[in-house]
Amino acid sequence: MAWNKRDDQPTHPEPQPVQPRTAPAPAAAPTPAAASTGSASSAPEPRRASSERATIGASILIKGDLSGDEDLVIEGRVEGKVDLKQNNVTVGRNGRVRADIFGRVVIIEGEVDGNVFAQEQAILRQAGAIRGNITAPRVILEDGSRFKGSIDMEDKDAKGAKDNRPHPVETKPAVQAG
Amino acid sequence: MSWFSRGRKAAAAQIEEEAPELHRSLGLTALFESMRRRGQGLRILDLGSAVGSNVEFLSQLGCKLYIEDLFASRTAAPDEEILGPEFFEQLLTQPDDVQFDVVLAWDLFNYLQRKELAHLATVLRKRCRPGALLLALVSIHKQVPAQPIRFRIRSESELLYERRTSVERPGPRYAPAELNSLLKGFRVDRSFLLRHGVQEYLFVREEG
Repeated sequence: MAWNKRDDQPTHPEPQPVQPRTAPAPAAAPTPAAASTGSASSAPEPRRASSERATIGASILIKGDLSGDEDLVIEGRVEGKVDLKQNNVTVGRNGRVRADIFGRVVIIEGEVDGNVFAQEQAILRQAGAIRGNITAPRVILEDGSRFKGSIDMEDKDAKGAKDNRPHPVETKPAVQAG
Repeated sequence: MSWFSRGRKAAAAQIEEEAPELHRSLGLTALFESMRRRGQGLRILDLGSAVGSNVEFLSQLGCKLYIEDLFASRTAAPDEEILGPEFFEQLLTQPDDVQFDVVLAWDLFNYLQRKELAHLATVLRKRCRPGALLLALVSIHKQVPAQPIRFRIRSESELLYERRTSVERPGPRYAPAELNSLLKGFRVDRSFLLRHGVQEYLFVREEG
């Protein structure tokens, strides 16, 4: 987990950024790719599976930008930016985030004051709250969750394909089960 | 993050939900017919609470959805008998150049006093394109649930009513003519009186 301190961060010794502890995911079995010990080659390094994840504990306050190469669970407070586009980001029940969040799958169970950008899916759990905009191909809002902002679910790939069509085609929504 | 703590308080105030009821919605049918004619990319402002299945349904129409839970914001606002225009000005947080094509007001008119309704109309008039549509469901009963109903779109012609409380309060029982005069800049395009005591209105934002 890399730590990028922002230039505009105050220099007074407020809460110091703490290196998040890395812990193995409880039930994540190593995938064949992750378990492989293949020798060095020119092949691109496979993206690290979610066998590792970092946790920002409930007593931790981080001000600045977060970036890295593993999944992240936030139970503490983060102010700045969370940039883990290739990884999953979970804001736990105790998590309080005042930042834009970039992730592959972003799950919100706590509170987020900022925009959420998910490559695959954004999930707002029942206990969660977002004040900001969600951009993701798929968005799940559980009943009881609190949300104030906009939702953009346009799939970029689908949009590109659609734009290539000679004529616009209307889509008919399927009847929902409830 | 005061919005969050206030929101929690509002959520905690919820009382046991009742069994949902399925009702036909002629207003919704008319709205979707009109939306289809206008094509994709419409901007929809939902003034109700976030309902996941509605988000999914509307996204299939290629719309961009904006959710501003009016009732939750009202609950979070300082206790004032009548909310002033500032409240409604601050309700919509999007940039001014975001102009809406559709507004889903659901049953929220039942929870606004006359002056508040006029303030809301003033804000919506500024933030809606000419020709924009506004769907409202107004009760004709003397009593309405103490909290707005959660409406779940089941199809283009059906709504599931999910009452969130069995407690009731007096309803304003707005008449069509009264709504027309309060919602300046909008006119009733179509209205439907339904058997279960709800009058559905489809308003249109007028030119100018």
